[in-house]
Amino acid sequence: MEQRYRIRINYVGNTVNGIYADAPPAKDPGVSMIDYLNDFLRSLGLEAEPAGKDQYIIFRKEKSRPASQPAKPAAGVEMEALNTTTPGATAPATLQQQSTVSGLVTEESGLPLPGVTIVVKGTFNGTKTNENGKYRLTNVPPNGTLVFSYIGYKSMEVKVEGRTAIDAKLLTEVQSMKDFVVNGYQKLQKDNYTGSAIVITGEELKHFNPQNILQSIQARDPSFRLVENNIAGSNPNQLPNINVRGTTALPSGTPGQLSRNQLASITNLPLFILDGYQVSIQNIFDLDFNRIETVTLLKDAAATAIYGSRASNGVCVFTTKAPKEGALELYYNYELNVTTPDLTAYNVLDAGQKLEYERLAGLYAGNEVDGEEALERLYYAKKKNVLSGINTYWLSQPVSNDFGHKHSVSLQGGSSSMRYGVDVRYQTNNGVMKGSGRDRYSLSNTLSYSPRSHKLLFRNQFTISQVKGTESPYGSFADYVKMNPYYPIYDSNGRLLREMDKWNYRSAAENSAIRTEHVLNPMYEATIGSFNKQEYLEFMDGFNVEYNPSGQWRISGNISLIKRKQTNDHFISPLSNLFYSYAGDQLKDRGTYEYGTEDFTQVDGSFTINHNEVIRNEHFLNFSLGTNIQSTSSTLRSFKAQGFTNDRFTDISFARMYEKDAAPQGGVTEQRLAGVFLSFNYSFQNRFLMDGTVRVDGSSKFGSDSRMAPFWSYGIGWNLHKEKFLQHTPVSQLRLKATTALTGDVSFPAYLSNTTYQYYTGEWYSTGVGAVFNAYGNSRLKWQRTHNYDLSVELGLFQDRVYFSPRYYHKLTTDLLADINVPSSTGFERYKENLGEMVNKGFEVYMRANVFRSRNWSVNLNLNMVHNTNVITKISDALKNYNDDVDKQQQENPDLKAVPLLRYREGQSLNTIYAVRSLGIDPENGREIFLNLDGTRTYDYNVKNTVPIGDQTPKLDGYFGGSVIYKNFMVEVSFYSRLGGDIYNQTLVDRVENASPWYNVDARALDARWKQPGDQVFFKNIADMGNTLTSSRFVQRENRVELKAIYLSYEAPASFYKRLRMKNLRCALNMNDIAYWSSIKLERGIDYPFARSFTFSLSTRF
Amino acid sequence: MKKYLILIITAAALSSCKKWLDVKPLTEVEQEVLFSTEAGFMEAINGLYTRCAQQDLYGKELSVGFPDALAQNYTVSPEDPNKYRQTLLYNYKDGDFVTRRDAAWKGLYNVIANSNIILEHVDKQKGVLTQPVYAIVKGEALAMRAYCHFDVLRLFAASYAAEPNGKGIPYVTAFSKDVPRMYKTGEAIDLMLQDLNAAKELLRTADPILTPGYKVGYDAVTDSSNEKDGPLFTQERRHHLNYYAVCGALARIYLYKGDHPRALFNALEVINANKFPWTKQSDFLNPDEEKKDRMLYKELLFAVYSANSETTDALRRLLRDGVASLYINLQEGRNIYETGGVGGEDFRYKQWFSEQAYSSGTYLRLEKYTRDPDRNIHPQLAPALRLSEMYYIAAECSFDTDPAKAWEYFNTVRLNRGIGTPRNDPSKAVFMEELVKEARKEFFGEGQIFYMYKRLNISFPGSFGSTIPATSSIFVLPFPDDEIAFGNR
Repeated sequence: MEQRYRIRINYVGNTVNGIYADAPPAKDPGVSMIDYLNDFLRSLGLEAEPAGKDQYIIFRKEKSRPASQPAKPAAGVEMEALNTTTPGATAPATLQQQSTVSGLVTEESGLPLPGVTIVVKGTFNGTKTNENGKYRLTNVPPNGTLVFSYIGYKSMEVKVEGRTAIDAKLLTEVQSMKDFVVNGYQKLQKDNYTGSAIVITGEELKHFNPQNILQSIQARDPSFRLVENNIAGSNPNQLPNINVRGTTALPSGTPGQLSRNQLASITNLPLFILDGYQVSIQNIFDLDFNRIETVTLLKDAAATAIYGSRASNGVCVFTTKAPKEGALELYYNYELNVTTPDLTAYNVLDAGQKLEYERLAGLYAGNEVDGEEALERLYYAKKKNVLSGINTYWLSQPVSNDFGHKHSVSLQGGSSSMRYGVDVRYQTNNGVMKGSGRDRYSLSNTLSYSPRSHKLLFRNQFTISQVKGTESPYGSFADYVKMNPYYPIYDSNGRLLREMDKWNYRSAAENSAIRTEHVLNPMYEATIGSFNKQEYLEFMDGFNVEYNPSGQWRISGNISLIKRKQTNDHFISPLSNLFYSYAGDQLKDRGTYEYGTEDFTQVDGSFTINHNEVIRNEHFLNFSLGTNIQSTSSTLRSFKAQGFTNDRFTDISFARMYEKDAAPQGGVTEQRLAGVFLSFNYSFQNRFLMDGTVRVDGSSKFGSDSRMAPFWSYGIGWNLHKEKFLQHTPVSQLRLKATTALTGDVSFPAYLSNTTYQYYTGEWYSTGVGAVFNAYGNSRLKWQRTHNYDLSVELGLFQDRVYFSPRYYHKLTTDLLADINVPSSTGFERYKENLGEMVNKGFEVYMRANVFRSRNWSVNLNLNMVHNTNVITKISDALKNYNDDVDKQQQENPDLKAVPLLRYREGQSLNTIYAVRSLGIDPENGREIFLNLDGTRTYDYNVKNTVPIGDQTPKLDGYFGGSVIYKNFMVEVSFYSRLGGDIYNQTLVDRVENASPWYNVDARALDARWKQPGDQVFFKNIADMGNTLTSSRFVQRENRVELKAIYLSYEAPASFYKRLRMKNLRCALNMNDIAYWSSIKLERGIDYPFARSFTFSLSTRF
Repeated sequence: MKKYLILIITAAALSSCKKWLDVKPLTEVEQEVLFSTEAGFMEAINGLYTRCAQQDLYGKELSVGFPDALAQNYTVSPEDPNKYRQTLLYNYKDGDFVTRRDAAWKGLYNVIANSNIILEHVDKQKGVLTQPVYAIVKGEALAMRAYCHFDVLRLFAASYAAEPNGKGIPYVTAFSKDVPRMYKTGEAIDLMLQDLNAAKELLRTADPILTPGYKVGYDAVTDSSNEKDGPLFTQERRHHLNYYAVCGALARIYLYKGDHPRALFNALEVINANKFPWTKQSDFLNPDEEKKDRMLYKELLFAVYSANSETTDALRRLLRDGVASLYINLQEGRNIYETGGVGGEDFRYKQWFSEQAYSSGTYLRLEKYTRDPDRNIHPQLAPALRLSEMYYIAAECSFDTDPAKAWEYFNTVRLNRGIGTPRNDPSKAVFMEELVKEARKEFFGEGQIFYMYKRLNISFPGSFGSTIPATSSIFVLPFPDDEIAFGNR
């Protein structure tokens, strides 16, 4: 009828329960809608009442039936899972001593809710709240139960217990989502679940940082950790690396992976699940924020075991909003984002200081390259610049404050059987380096159809997204940091200068030949047409069928397809500074264009059967049996062209030729995975809980001898608050949980388990092309296994106004994939084997308190902290060998001399900093004093004296903050703090001691270095041009506090938005990365500066 | 009942799954895929030779590099940019030497492992191979396994003459990650001979080089050579371990073991086949670089084709980069080739060396590998087995029984090198001394002479009249550290 007459009919769930009727004959045009409805309903004992334009509410006729007739309890799947159907609540209300109950109904933020239906459970006695959210209901039995319900909100039941004033706060359906754990295959009630899961709503995430979903998740859960990237800073195109409860993989011991920055390349990412199928971190990174309903973070293995071989690093389950039934509604969200560079970490010399520093460093003393006169001329030329007032602040040149916009429109509506939703997004996000940014456009559509019986549900969702990332043409920020302030940017005519300075030096490499260094203007790079961009178009479709033959059974099937085509275009203009030294024949080879494409396809399917059973209202059982298959393939192609004529013709077709002596690159990777799982969940009287999961996974990455792998988890819990002795105490929640599990990790490259051949494509033998084997393929290769143990307590006091939850975990990862050395007489040097063990253990603490609450005020505080310890307990000989190799490299490779390199030692952590012990600078002569292994002092540096010095792991880190709500206003503040981790202060090495005095340096290079005997200083002799090497002098203990986010919001009053024909209106302001206090001074954002970001957002509903 | 049903369905699903999970890589070739066709076997065989042609093996190091440095054939400048000084001083702990030594060990065993994979598949896949191809593939893989093991033995184990039951080397016959077992020197030699004799039998049935019409010659000269006839894989037999190469290797190894009759038998099989003609003087001395044959190409029983531009560049840097390269002291060179006496007209000295002036005098540059950069009558090669070596083996093996015959073999080689004066002397000591001197001249820059000193366990001339004593500390290279550490050697 709703569809036929375009009306909306509202009713409370159990009003029409158990009543069946055929559709009425068509309405006479002359008859009014309300009469027509009432004619039809009268025979059913129901009554309709108009409620606004084209809206009707259906009630039971007051006197039609005696109240003693018990209504059947609702028997939906959800209700079963909720366990709300306790027998007492369904008992009919007796008629004795009935009284009147009144009160106020508000939503969670405290706003009154008009139009809420309140019914005495089991009767047809009900009313609605008025404009101010107030209600008054007569004839309420003192032992009865009131049911509060309102569309878009979760129904709530409150026992009357003789009270006459009952205020209620309704949670939106989204908030009620927090009571459930959605793990991609099942939906389980959190109360009865032993796994460790954090549920965050999309709205909560927005309170933190509306520009970055992953950052926002981090703020809500301390064990979800984005690895800090000091090199890429706030580059909007940089995908983060994430650890959940510590690192569980070893980098493979190839000598290429030396420095700590490369450590960031270990694939240790959690698994991302979007609406039931696996997606990549990039999908999440570019996801439309407004579409997220909840994020469920499954951290411990008991929760993730259902993902078997992919579960070791945690699982992040995203669900998107499903369209709600009802008339067409339009949601609109606008965001204005302003980013502004944060250059406070930089402290460079000004023009006068810089020149003085050069003089002190001895650049203009005789140097056997140029005569004294020439040097003097050079000095005075610069002095002239300084005196004429040139003092360029280079740091601000490539950066700017930039704006980004986001418009997001969502349309939804439909009847109870057919619903639709369309989401459109336009989002630009400009970075602080000029010209860099990431633009995202997406269109998604959801259709769901459920035939009349509501036993079947079909849902299809498809999304098209287009993302375009552009890197700044200004190049690396580091180039600007090192520019001398006495260089002018423009000449007297206002033209950009290209070459700014030059000097002669003796090359160490080429037999001390004299070479000339040219200083070129990095600003010039932005004017010559170079670009570096990547673009992808992605199509995702998820189709889901659900069959609910009865309340106890649920059968669902899911199939999804992701197809993505990405292209990269990197053009370097022939006029670039890179080709400055090209001469003669090389000139025509200037300019390069690198083109690459990636085609990615993923098909993921799953099939799950859920069954729940309640036996004698004591035993609650929930079983799931499911299977899941997945196939991904990715094809990469790239090639490079060179030789462009000028910067105007930048298409690749203008290239003269392919890159000299280079071949096109390419690769195809295919992976398949299949698994079957069985999971059960049992609770006895909601007091004793038990969970278990078994999954068998097969992966194409495993060796042919061990294609299938079993994984399992088991957990028990005790809801102490359900025990008698805790009833009527301030303890509203007390739960003890213990879980253990075995999970796996398959994030290693495909094909390691097969011996494969490679061709000598570039080398021809006189009798044909040759092929040799690549590496020994270990057919017995299997998955990494993580043994998990988890203990947690959840304590809620005063109706959960205070919530405290400590957790302890222990993860032992065995069968770490490591290189095993074999005698090379086997024909190869190493192969992959499952050997090596690592332990991650730690604790997490969550605290939340509602410290003050009144009609208009609410003040909340929250804190989450984590401490993780990582210990390598067993490593292979190959890694021990690798340490020696590292020593050697550190001694020989000039680029690695002053960097603390990654080493592996049993008993140490992956985060240990290794360096030579130092006693500091000798005040006598400005030289550094080192300690040998035996404790004796020496001036001579020897890499063999390298020992573990510190650990980067902080003693404690996490977020704390609070929120204040006053009427329609809300303020939320979040701080991040990191206490007690060691840091190797690379700035002190690279920018103070090892910095070339020809370029600009950190200010400490001038004022804090040793200048004369007796100086008790941190830095060595200012005139010492020798290389400073990795020593413990630069290892510093860091304590840090960051003001990460401030959120302000204002909800416009109904009187205002109604005038605008809106259904609500909210404005909000987010401020991110506002301030930073650290006990050490370190340059942050080397290639790309960090940024502060401000987002103003406006959201409304029509 | 339901439970059983679920179990059955699960089991069925799992077993079909297993097949589905077996993903074949598209950009790499799995061994099973490679060895499913005849072409794949051919590619794998070509792979053995291409691997040998790399610079860590015969492409550079084992031909021109450290074995000849150990034989004191070279001089280095004080700057020593190529880092051979410590090698010349037998400092086997020197990092640069260790790197080269380890690379040679790894490379040789890598070729062996590749041979072993072929041998594992060749009998299983006999069905996809035609008979001659089967014989050639299996024969060459066996021969290559033995050939490489023999060079490992000559480098890393005490000579048979010194310690027939010495520690020996690992003789690897399977592709596996298990630590290969060690074989005593004598045992290892027997295994090599076994492999080579098997290879000889296989190749005897199939090798086109045995056909009477097969003539060796220059690629670029349209004479009667038919080395380019037939399918690509069976062309250029002398770039593969052909039947005669196997005979040559057998002769070499029998001689190393001191089994003179068998060594002689195999050497004579090559000599008497008359397949390999002596190089014409007109080719050797041809002033036209494009037509010049410095390599004595037709006399090669087996050589590794190494016409890769990187290898060519590396050789040029190693040998022709002024005194920064490995060069030969003028006086030393003249002494080696006895230019003041019998070697006054030796073509080899004249063609293989050029006098170059430098700041403090004149030095000799090794020109043996010099070719016209664009074209030549033969490709760039690393010589491995020569006809002259067969003559030397024949001479050495027959001296005890027939000294005159021995001197005849000896003089034949000399005659073809421009030394017309025949030698004859009843003393074995004199004969051996002359033979060693000749071999040094003949194999200069080919990495063989050091092995000869070692085989005979004799002291040999160092620079400026010094003598290097015959001790195992010089003749036996230590095993790579990794081999000792991970193999418990």
